Amino acid sequence: MARIVVDPVTRIEGHLRIEAQVDGGVVSDAWSSGTMFRGIELILRGRDPREAWIWAQRICGVCTMVHALASVNAVEDALSIEVPDNARLIRNIIAATQTIQDHVIHFYHLHALDWVDVVSSLKADPAATSKLAQSISDWPLSSTQYFKGVQDRIRTLAESKQLSLFGSGYWGHPAYHLPPEANLMAVAHYLEALTFQREFIRIHAVLGGKNPHLQTFLVGGMATAMDPNEPGATINPERMDFLVQVAKSAQPFVSQVYIPDVLAIAGFYRDWFGRGEGLGNFMSYGGYPQGSIHDYAAYFLPRGIILNRDLSKVYPVDPGNITEYVAHSWYQYSRGNQVGLNPYEGETNPKYTGPKPPYEFLEVDQKYSWLKAPRYDNKAIEVGPLARLLVAYAAGQPDVKALIDTTLAKLNAPPAALFSTLGRVAARALETQLLADRLVGWLEQLRNNMATGNLSIFNGEKWDPSSWPQTARGFGFFEAPRGSLGHWVEIENQTIKNYQAVVPSTWNAGPRDPSGQRGAYEAALIKTPIAEPERPLEILRTVHSFDPCLACAVHVVDARGRPIPVLKQEDEAVRFLGGSERSETTK
Amino acid sequence: MIDSLSSDTMVVGVGNTILSDDGVGVHAARLLQSDPRVPAGVEILDGGTLGLELVPYVSDAYRILFLDAVNSGSAPGTRVRMTGKDLLGLSAGLSVHQLGVANLIAALAFASTKPQDIVVLGVQPANTDWGISLSPAVEATLTQLVDAAVAQLRQWQESAHDGLPLAKSSCTP
Repeated sequence: MARIVVDPVTRIEGHLRIEAQVDGGVVSDAWSSGTMFRGIELILRGRDPREAWIWAQRICGVCTMVHALASVNAVEDALSIEVPDNARLIRNIIAATQTIQDHVIHFYHLHALDWVDVVSSLKADPAATSKLAQSISDWPLSSTQYFKGVQDRIRTLAESKQLSLFGSGYWGHPAYHLPPEANLMAVAHYLEALTFQREFIRIHAVLGGKNPHLQTFLVGGMATAMDPNEPGATINPERMDFLVQVAKSAQPFVSQVYIPDVLAIAGFYRDWFGRGEGLGNFMSYGGYPQGSIHDYAAYFLPRGIILNRDLSKVYPVDPGNITEYVAHSWYQYSRGNQVGLNPYEGETNPKYTGPKPPYEFLEVDQKYSWLKAPRYDNKAIEVGPLARLLVAYAAGQPDVKALIDTTLAKLNAPPAALFSTLGRVAARALETQLLADRLVGWLEQLRNNMATGNLSIFNGEKWDPSSWPQTARGFGFFEAPRGSLGHWVEIENQTIKNYQAVVPSTWNAGPRDPSGQRGAYEAALIKTPIAEPERPLEILRTVHSFDPCLACAVHVVDARGRPIPVLKQEDEAVRFLGGSERSETTK
Repeated sequence: MIDSLSSDTMVVGVGNTILSDDGVGVHAARLLQSDPRVPAGVEILDGGTLGLELVPYVSDAYRILFLDAVNSGSAPGTRVRMTGKDLLGLSAGLSVHQLGVANLIAALAFASTKPQDIVVLGVQPANTDWGISLSPAVEATLTQLVDAAVAQLRQWQESAHDGLPLAKSSCTP
């Protein structure tokens, strides 16, 4: 029996720690701990709600626009503001661009190397790699010479001992199953994905004004100049042509590189369609309004909840049913540890009671995380691309249903295969395809509006604070790349009285609640086989399949960094390198 | 005309402006944006806490100057200078955003076809709790950080004998 500690799990900013109990080579229990400290309200209290988004977009270091959008939505909800159609379209375009870029980066740069052995690619035969690539896709970059060139670049890195560039690098681990040629093809696409995003993100550069922190959000619409006859306007016919051209460039990359790679890799890891399921409960706030933001039924990706993996029923979402618990989190509520608070009543009173670092293990029977435990109707819920697509599939969204059914047929797998680690990977890829296809349509709608003289982009009726009620509160939501993001704002006397954000990674990475229900990561790790406890690649596969980004869930305090997961077994007196610096600096 | 995302010489301020000293690099970058001493053609970017997402902005640059909060274990306000190679060689980097910046530099080493000269100028933070202002010790160093950035840019400008201009000279796509 051994306790494995993986810390940190993320390849990007933020700090997530997993402790897993391993019995007989299989995970028997797991605990997820984020070294986060919630406190955006400390920054926002007393501010003008119209500028909240400027601060909120700094919550997350990676996808800045998601918090900006959730924030303007929250204020618009509080003040009953409907945005013009053009603003809705531009928001959808910006959001879809972010999600497409994010999913591509996640798969190739943050997750693929859990499945792809870079070192093995050195043994690949470039001619056989070319043959393999051409057998699964029409993508033009597939010649023997091309793959030989990529292999030479990898060899140069390997000889200069810089392969650690690719993350933690459990190269040669027995859980890697791809042949060398598939590995080489995937590494080539790792490089191509960097080039792809370089071009694709130009959509944000045009629509966002300043980039990467977009400047054009506005409570009531967008601050984007739209004029068919003005060469200097952000949106004019020339820019529209450019945007459509860039948007269209996403389709071939997604359909000829990303999707075939996911299917090819999945084919070698079919076991993982039966592993990593977790909770079986899924939620989506709904994404991409097609008309009014209140017309949830018409969203491109519908709103809803699925319980106990039953795809025959979609339950409605009532934000009033969301509560957060701190029974296992380092906070105290004024009404005690057992109650759950809706974010409108949210409290952030930190009280660290964990072990003093450096420590071996967290006190998992007590409090062990800086994340709160959000619950819907007291149920633990998974959020993210898989949740969104399952809700859409169950709701009968025709595009989603057709794409999922075709993909499952190609994989010769039943819908239940989606409840898994690979199900998350596949859902993310399919969502990218759906959005890449839809993106062009939203741009065409925008072009049509401009052509027919509909240039309205900002609703200023409620811009003047004297038009606001004395008190108001609103819920803003957005289906961010990683899942359901909610912002709750309370406005009093024209300023912010309280503000809470429940981010996707809090739903997925949160700890247990007072009744002992595990969070999504914790549940998904149960029964994971571990070949080598010293190199827990299998744990990384499942946790990374959620796309953990604790940059927003977690306060970035990691000063020394530990890029290599540290293993600790109970019977070893190894100096433990992990622990929470956060605890030392918490007031 | 659609602007190119990057110039040949980039300054990237890294950090989170709502986590006090964590944002020192971004604060410095903002000051540089209106500093007349910055050579023409240099592009200054507020990189926030992005990591690999910054690749599109910097992969075409020949010279990249990162400004960041760096924990060197020294007194608050202490300034450090590292090169991209220093960061690559570290198993555990020193930047507060080391996973992001180190990942970014690593990805560039593999992905960029340009021979990139990367320098990181950092300041030891005192306080990275929620807050929008710098601690006194770091605030007092901010001017020196900006001066050091200007000095680095001028050094690059003067050593541009390899034929690489500071600014992108060709037409943008």
